Amino acid sequence: MTKETLAHPFSASRVSLLMRNRAFEDLPSLAIGVGILAGLNLLSILIGGRAFMNDSTGQSWTFVMSLAGIVLAASAFRGMHDGRSGTDWILLPATSLEKYAAALISYLIIFPLVSMVAATGLSALLSLVELIAGGPGGRIWNPLRAVGLSGWADYAICALIFAVGSASFRKRALIKTLGLMTAYVLVVSGILFAAILLVRKLQGLPIPDIAINNGDIKIDGDLAIGGQPALNTILNIVRYALMPIFALVYGFFRVAEKEARDEVQ
Amino acid sequence: MVQIQSMTFGYGKGPLFEGLDLKLEPGTVFGLLGLNGAGKTSLLKLLAGALRPQSGSIRVFGAEPWRREAFFLADTSFVPEDPWLPAVKPSVWLERYAVFRPAFDKERFVSLSREFALDEGKLLTKYSYGQRKKFALAAALASGARLVLLDEPTNGLDIPSKSQFRRALAAAVDADRVVVVSTHQVRDLERVIDPAVIVHGGKILFSLASDQISEKLGSVQVRDLGPGVIYAEKDGVGYSALVARSGLDGGRDDAQTADLELLFNAAIASPSRLAAALRGESLPPLDPSEAASRERNVEEVAK
Repeated sequence: MTKETLAHPFSASRVSLLMRNRAFEDLPSLAIGVGILAGLNLLSILIGGRAFMNDSTGQSWTFVMSLAGIVLAASAFRGMHDGRSGTDWILLPATSLEKYAAALISYLIIFPLVSMVAATGLSALLSLVELIAGGPGGRIWNPLRAVGLSGWADYAICALIFAVGSASFRKRALIKTLGLMTAYVLVVSGILFAAILLVRKLQGLPIPDIAINNGDIKIDGDLAIGGQPALNTILNIVRYALMPIFALVYGFFRVAEKEARDEVQ
Repeated sequence: MVQIQSMTFGYGKGPLFEGLDLKLEPGTVFGLLGLNGAGKTSLLKLLAGALRPQSGSIRVFGAEPWRREAFFLADTSFVPEDPWLPAVKPSVWLERYAVFRPAFDKERFVSLSREFALDEGKLLTKYSYGQRKKFALAAALASGARLVLLDEPTNGLDIPSKSQFRRALAAAVDADRVVVVSTHQVRDLERVIDPAVIVHGGKILFSLASDQISEKLGSVQVRDLGPGVIYAEKDGVGYSALVARSGLDGGRDDAQTADLELLFNAAIASPSRLAAALRGESLPPLDPSEAASRERNVEEVAK
């Protein structure tokens, strides 16, 4: 870092330093997680002869990696809210945009890439242990087959929303963001469902029977409307463009406008 | 230069500062004095950019602190009363955090750390309160920042560390740097701070330079309240009094250097008498009932 880079409103070197510091901070908890995962799989090899994570679908690895990324993203800005460390976080010489970008790049791009490599290595190692222990072996998780671009996009949107939740909520960001997402999905689903029924009624199509039995919603009839492809397009635009853009901008302003808490430090 | 103009700030229960004006020139250590809750820490955080004023403006070497531009943050160092430090050793801290400040003087930091007898092999989170304070002060004084903000820097320091800190602070003053120190412990720093800025009721009550204080004010120990007494505190043998010096109307020629704590108390309890004395006006005699005592502290007198 040089005095010249200080004049720049956005410096890649500052972002990389912030990302490096994040990686160092996250490393101990990630190492514990990997250790637990490896231990459970070794136990599974000892008991059943197979590493349970190396299942035929490969979904276990994808699920664990996504979950770990989301948990990390949900605590991305925890330090900013803390009564004592918050002032230090706010006043660390880097702009709010750089701090925000460093967190998002770390959890939306770097973490998935690194964890895919690590998971592949661990999966291969467990497969080898399986073979040595007399098990079938041979099943190695293949990230290229298991995680496509749309899989990453779904993860990235989810991680982004949890990171923004972390910028917004001072405590229990994970639970609160989850609650908010559930409420959002319910409200949007309700609105869409009502809209579909209204369009069908206006088009003179039969309205399906809706019955609720023991908490289960049963829809008897057709929900399709003339503009279904258009509806899917609208939903995809909301999901992959509007919602992430809104979350991105909203989260930035939460970070940029964060102030130190009113307490003795 | 630091300039605050018509600044208003509060936390929701009415403004803490209303129309505050303050100008701080480089090359001095400003002592920010005030009662608990007067807003000293908030003022430091406003200057550092950790808080945003509701109206008015703050300019620090031309920058607006609340925008938190990288060059401004690197040019400012704020040490809170209870500093937070990450769970790393000092050498790792230098690599991970000091690197954001290109003007950071590692040699100065190492020399201050050794002077403060800080354990280099220990995690910073294992440091005691006093050690954390010393570490943060060493980091601030070596930061190369032109604005250094220290909140109660001597709280938690042992006696040798206090004098080491005074020496380090005096050495850190240069023509380009503004140092602002908020403190309750005025006696710890009275020979270092100049001017003393007294904050009260959301305003700057007084900004007194040391030459102004030594020219116009002094302290005496008296049995009876005589002429020239601005403010007095009753003690076991009589009164500790802040008086106008000789040469002023009703002034005394037996006064010693003004005690900063007494001056601060006088500013809070009797601002009009102090202002009149500073203008060289004669003062009506102080009634013994107006003197502060163990039973009537300075805040009660102020009411």
